[in-house]
Amino acid sequence: MNELDKIPVRQEISVAEGNVKRSNPLANVFDELVRFCQSRSMFMLHYCTGCGAIELPPAMTSRFDMERLGIQPMVTPRQADILLITGYVSVKTLKRIILTYEQMPSPKYVIGICSCTVNGGMYWQSYATAKVLKEYLPVDIYIAGCMPRPEAVISGLRDLMGDIKSGRADNWKRYFQNYDHYLGNQQQLFGEDWQTPTDIIAEAEHYGLMTDQTLGEHTALLQKHQQPLEALEFSLGEKREKIQGENPREKNNE
Amino acid sequence: MSKELNLWLDDLLKDIKIIQFKRKNSRRVRIDIAPEALPALLELLQGRASYVHLSAISCVDWIEDDEFELVYHVWSYETNSLVSAHTRISREPGVYLSVYDLYTPAAFFERDIHEMFGLYFEGSPDMEKFILTEWNGPPPMRKDFDSEAFVNQTFNWEEYHPQWLKDIEAEGGGITTRPEDVR
Repeated sequence: MNELDKIPVRQEISVAEGNVKRSNPLANVFDELVRFCQSRSMFMLHYCTGCGAIELPPAMTSRFDMERLGIQPMVTPRQADILLITGYVSVKTLKRIILTYEQMPSPKYVIGICSCTVNGGMYWQSYATAKVLKEYLPVDIYIAGCMPRPEAVISGLRDLMGDIKSGRADNWKRYFQNYDHYLGNQQQLFGEDWQTPTDIIAEAEHYGLMTDQTLGEHTALLQKHQQPLEALEFSLGEKREKIQGENPREKNNE
Repeated sequence: MSKELNLWLDDLLKDIKIIQFKRKNSRRVRIDIAPEALPALLELLQGRASYVHLSAISCVDWIEDDEFELVYHVWSYETNSLVSAHTRISREPGVYLSVYDLYTPAAFFERDIHEMFGLYFEGSPDMEKFILTEWNGPPPMRKDFDSEAFVNQTFNWEEYHPQWLKDIEAEGGGITTRPEDVR
């Protein structure tokens, strides 16, 4: 078996115009196919924070019919591709949005609808709303307007589909690559003891997306007080007997 | 029937010397009353005139007068009319009596006012944080809280004329209709 190591592995790398091409001629085709399929089947989690949500039912239902593009609403973040944030984001809501975003599987895309997600919108003076959404999450596409019509929403989603197809929509990688930056902005708002149940640094290692921007002073602050996640205790036999023993009704029956 | 009841009530309330009574229309009455007498008035209205529904307690910060104005809106299903009882209390120390023993929903309104204005209600069951659970600053609805300064200090702004837009404009594109052209 040791002889296997002695076989020289040679990877042909041809450099054309600065781009490194892979030796497998079908690799690119396959990637393109995967991206095409991804862009045609997107499950959307609409986090209806503000008034923009009212434009989504017509965009989803028969009049404008998002489903003809392959976009469907999804009920849980664990199975969603797109996080749609419709309208103003209060500081309290932003926490929930970040928790939701971190639970979504990669690749994931964030769309900010309405002017409020861009720059605070008409709530720019409010003490309670976060102003620039992309400081806390990597946003793929903004659909501006107060509120954008369903045509604009669908146009924005088509833009996102185009980006995914051409491989430009990789903002979700930025969250892992620049986690220190995003975490710093989050800590500024939520305080230094801010911690989410998802371990982003471990996920960045898993995806191979660790850069020198991933770790920094803010993540060091996080790791100082971070409590490791523990699996829930799972036992069927003993616990159930215990609970039954404590039940006063059963005691009476005995 | 309800009109007749209203007339009787008007006559009765006009007889009380310490309150200012003003009927605005057939369904609205405004009463201005001293803070010491307000719980007694509410008890009278609830017990004797079936004003059983406390719709809201609103609060106004009159910073020039150094006073808070509290408005208790009570509704009667018998006379179909709303009584707004206005009272003014001093801004410092900003402590007032709770009407929780008369109207149970007052607990929510008082907790909300405590959070937004910093006004403390003695006898209210819970004066903890209500909606602004993640807020550590001063009560934000007070007139002396400068929301704009707070926002400018806390948040960053997106640039309105970023480089990518300038690049588009250099190529002859960009915003075709500016907001000031439309207005």
